Amino acid sequence: MDDIDAMFSDLLGEMDLLTQSLGVEDVRPPSPKKEVNLSVGFTDLNESLLELEDNDLDALMADLMADLDATEKLAAEKKAAAKDPHPTLENLHLPSPDHASVPAPPLPPAHRASSAENEEQAKADKIKLALEKLKEAKVKKLVVKVEMTNGSSKTLMVDERQTVRDVLDNLFEKTHCDCNVDWCLYETNPELQTERGFEDHENLVEPLSAWTRDSENKVLFREQEDKYAVFKNPQNFYLWKKDKKALKDMKDKDKELLLEENFCGSSIIVPDLEGALYLKEDGKKSWKQRYFLLRASGIYYVPKGKTKTSRDLVSLVNFDNVNVYYAKEYKAKYKAPTDFCFILKHPQIQKESQYIKYLCCDDHRAMTLWVTGIRVAKYGIALYENYKTAVKRSSASSSWTDRINSTQSTPSPTPKAKAANGHPLPPPPLMDVLPPPPPDPVMPPPPPLPNKGGLPPPPPPSSVTKNRGGALPPAPVEDFPPPPPLDDGELPPDFMPPPPPAAGVGFYLHGGEALPPPPPDPVGLPLAPPPPGPPPPPPPPPPVGAPAPRPVLPAKREGPAPPKRTTPGLSAPSGGDFMSELMVAMQKKRVQQ
Amino acid sequence: MAAWDLSVTVEDLGPDAPPIVISVTSDLHIGRVILDVVQKTQLQRDWSDHALWWEQKQQWLLRTAWTLEKCGIHADAKLVLTPQHKPLQLGLPNGVTVRLCACFSRAVFHTVVEICKVLNIRHPEELSLLRPVEVKKKKKDKDHVQNIYDLTDVSLTSDSIPCLYNGMPVHFTDSPKAEDIYKMLSMCQPSPSPEALAKMYRPASIVDKTHIHTRWLDSSRTLMQQGVQQDDTLWLRFKYNTFYDLEPKYDAVRLTQLYEQARWAILLEDIDCTEEEMMLFGALQYHISKLAQSESQNRVSGIEDLDCALQSLELKLEGDKSGTTDMIENMTAPELNDYLKIFRPKRLTLKGYKQYWFKFKDTSISYYKNQEERFGEPIQQLNLKGSDVSPDVNVAGQKFCIKLLIPAPEGMNELYLRCEDEQQYSQWMAACRLGSKGLTLADSSFQREKKSIQSFLSMQRSNSGDQSAQTSENINTFSLLSPRYQKKYKAKQLTPRILDSYQNVARLSMTEAILKFLQIWQALPDFGISYFMVRFKGSRKDEVLGIANNRLIRIDLGVGDVVKTWRYSNMRQWNVNWDIRQVAIEFDGNINMAFGCVTADCKIVHEYIGGYIFMSTRGRDRSDTLNEELFHKLTGGHEVL
Repeated sequence: MDDIDAMFSDLLGEMDLLTQSLGVEDVRPPSPKKEVNLSVGFTDLNESLLELEDNDLDALMADLMADLDATEKLAAEKKAAAKDPHPTLENLHLPSPDHASVPAPPLPPAHRASSAENEEQAKADKIKLALEKLKEAKVKKLVVKVEMTNGSSKTLMVDERQTVRDVLDNLFEKTHCDCNVDWCLYETNPELQTERGFEDHENLVEPLSAWTRDSENKVLFREQEDKYAVFKNPQNFYLWKKDKKALKDMKDKDKELLLEENFCGSSIIVPDLEGALYLKEDGKKSWKQRYFLLRASGIYYVPKGKTKTSRDLVSLVNFDNVNVYYAKEYKAKYKAPTDFCFILKHPQIQKESQYIKYLCCDDHRAMTLWVTGIRVAKYGIALYENYKTAVKRSSASSSWTDRINSTQSTPSPTPKAKAANGHPLPPPPLMDVLPPPPPDPVMPPPPPLPNKGGLPPPPPPSSVTKNRGGALPPAPVEDFPPPPPLDDGELPPDFMPPPPPAAGVGFYLHGGEALPPPPPDPVGLPLAPPPPGPPPPPPPPPPVGAPAPRPVLPAKREGPAPPKRTTPGLSAPSGGDFMSELMVAMQKKRVQQ
Repeated sequence: MAAWDLSVTVEDLGPDAPPIVISVTSDLHIGRVILDVVQKTQLQRDWSDHALWWEQKQQWLLRTAWTLEKCGIHADAKLVLTPQHKPLQLGLPNGVTVRLCACFSRAVFHTVVEICKVLNIRHPEELSLLRPVEVKKKKKDKDHVQNIYDLTDVSLTSDSIPCLYNGMPVHFTDSPKAEDIYKMLSMCQPSPSPEALAKMYRPASIVDKTHIHTRWLDSSRTLMQQGVQQDDTLWLRFKYNTFYDLEPKYDAVRLTQLYEQARWAILLEDIDCTEEEMMLFGALQYHISKLAQSESQNRVSGIEDLDCALQSLELKLEGDKSGTTDMIENMTAPELNDYLKIFRPKRLTLKGYKQYWFKFKDTSISYYKNQEERFGEPIQQLNLKGSDVSPDVNVAGQKFCIKLLIPAPEGMNELYLRCEDEQQYSQWMAACRLGSKGLTLADSSFQREKKSIQSFLSMQRSNSGDQSAQTSENINTFSLLSPRYQKKYKAKQLTPRILDSYQNVARLSMTEAILKFLQIWQALPDFGISYFMVRFKGSRKDEVLGIANNRLIRIDLGVGDVVKTWRYSNMRQWNVNWDIRQVAIEFDGNINMAFGCVTADCKIVHEYIGGYIFMSTRGRDRSDTLNEELFHKLTGGHEVL
């Protein structure tokens, strides 16, 4: 523990250093340029680190540690392999002090010149390794604060290779929610009064990087029914012209057929939406009604005095470079005819601009139709794939075995990835493994558990979320010794009482389905099938630490948690600079030769 | 039993030869009759494909075990002994005509299956034959002498799936001539000249579009029964617009022909699209024909190919071993450095370009006061990722500008870069285009991008000057658009617009480009609807019925709007009253509708609906065999016995 503390203060110190060294640049007005972004990132990291709750820090720290170990190992290997340092790299200045703190800097200074032929190979390998590591170091990471439905928040480290799906899985583990397909990450922009659900296949870091440094934007984690409504009730979108009653009575078989027709053919079919919408004229305050049509290639409108034949249509926008956002309360903000507005803009645009297309619908239904239709047109098959993955994910959570498997298969950012400061960064999946499995919400109400008092049944997930708001009595802090960093030691208590194997088998067969049939045997009544490997141990002793990680947040957040800014802190980018300097060095060297 | 005389015309004896008369009894088998006739001709040849055709009854006598009595043949019957397979001129979707032997004695459905086997097109159930549109022959029609590819002597080895040799089905590898035909089948044809395109028939209205569908042959009857003669011309087309299991690996010919059919549908305005879509179609056609050109030029034999591949593989392996220097090379991203002029349009400023030293690296442009300061801090750095890049070029006026719209939190930054000449422009433009997609100069497509920009520039040059100055290398942009859009634009305006769309597709391979074309085509709102003129029961006016792969639509002729849609999934049953030629359909919820066909034969409409229902059953039983019986059950009607 002392080690960790020492290392952490080390880390903070370095961050300070970095921030100071970049302070000069900081004076410049913020502009969307890359280097400036860097400095912004650093200050933000510092800031967001300060904002972090202790327990968040602990969690992050654990991650850091884990990764550090990995790096140490790697470094040791490298030391062994690389007896002859590359002489040409002597004049290389490692730009950031951080590398000092890593046990073995990737490029140790040269001690002796070499001439032997056979050493060339080792040299080459080493450079390669170093370059690869540098590449890894370039991976951008953000500390993201995600706001929950109850106003509390969770802090996550997200690297640029992670998709929204990965982050959602991560959050599922942390929050013990029911993992249903409606959960999504939402971006809000108070300045534009817009919001948009990130699609599961998007990388989270990229859109967040577009936020300005003084941004009030937030990332929310919440259930959003319209996320996959088009797959749950395709008739509402593809047969929108029919009367509502017919749509409501749609048979499941026909829904499937609709999905097959529109999403499983060689081409994705976009709902044939058309209708009158209001468009806010470029740069003007007035809203003008036009007749719009949605096609796979974009949104079109019928020009005055023309018919809606294809050749006459005028393109308003295509979807290559824009995203669609719900807009809130535009009646007040822009004098829109109704409050059912949506906008189309480049994700980089964060403020009011003439390059934003503002559209206004007559009612809520029309707005949902259009926004969803545009998403289908923009993302095509990816949207359907997302949905299928989400369904799999939600049904997988109904079986413990499946759950383990899925956790294991969560794409893990490689431990090689490093933070800006040179410290190895946390592989988020580490955390994933830990939280105790929430009881499956999809399952039929669990009959009384046989293990009386053996294990306090975990609270149903829904109540957990609700409790977060503060209903939960503030747990005395001493009840929660600073939760041990999430490490493997935590694992055993997390397992549910393993059921007798026989009962488990029958259950396992249905593991993949959303609604498993009621367990065959009330005695065996497992929440999950037995662990695949060794024979089930006797019911474990009441886990001491198991519930600990969860209640920590509510305990600390007790009282009205002030709305937190969820500014993402940019925590990695020194790699870029370092890289370019290395390049310069290499080039110089070559010139000399 | 009494013997009587039966006269049989033998086609092989020539048109003027008198019929052969043999003496028969009513219990004689058909097979015996043929044998007797053949013996009497005293011709030595392979008679195995011959069969008797009964002219008055318009039917084949294919069951050789049946007796004359059972067939109902009497002395007045006129029988013809004729081959079951006869040559046919077949117009393919790509506009080329091939001559091949088709079966005249079995249902057209089966004939198509056989034809597709020869042509190597999978899923023949999607295709059918139709009578061609008569072309009014002009007196001075010189270019009518069309090259006809002869496939009549191609013999199929067995019924199994044709195995590939050298990427070609075995039956095409017999001779260089056959190989050429395969090339023609599987490679896209060059674009038609705009003049030729303008002369071709285009449907002007939805009523015109109904005419083409009156020409489909009846799938359940034979060619002979439908009056098709030897060496007649028929068109082979994709009929049912639901393409099952397109697999580039096996479907070279199918994909190419489908692409050609789609392209012609768009060029001839058979299906409407918007201007933006047309530009993308144009760009894809341009890309595909460019690739086809270069592919046919660089065609090397398989062995040479293999050698090349091996060599490059070796190089790669070696490179991997000692590749640290390479790697460093790769890590040092290539750059562009040059003096360019920049202009930022702002309100109340006059157009003024200022010169700076520009550097393009990764996906960003930075600029410096001059070359000497290039190692210092740039005046500004702009990341082009996600930006909008468009040309602002006038070749004649020697204006080479790049217009950039770079996204920023406040909106889009608009600025112009002015280049000195074509060379500089093509380099920087290519870099900007890659940058906007998040790609660097190191990307392999940089050179290609540069080349295509140059070729577009030269196109603009030739277009603005002399229309006829066209080499095979150059493609006339007008030939990529339908006449309607040809008229709308001058070449000068058109080229940049196509180039604009082209940047989105330039990196696609041939197959990817074709698939993309097909995808966009299928995503058009009017895609896959076959129109028929009908009169609904209880209605006094003609209306149009559209048949698509999942629904029927009723279109009001006056307004041109869709009045009603019925989906097959709600369909209970459909019946045809052959006497009054009326189709009646019942849907869920006691919805009934009925209509009579005005122009097309009722059978065609019936077959279309049944055909689509057949298509939707594919894949369910997971077997790849074609259920011919089911098809006929669904499409045949009472006429099939």
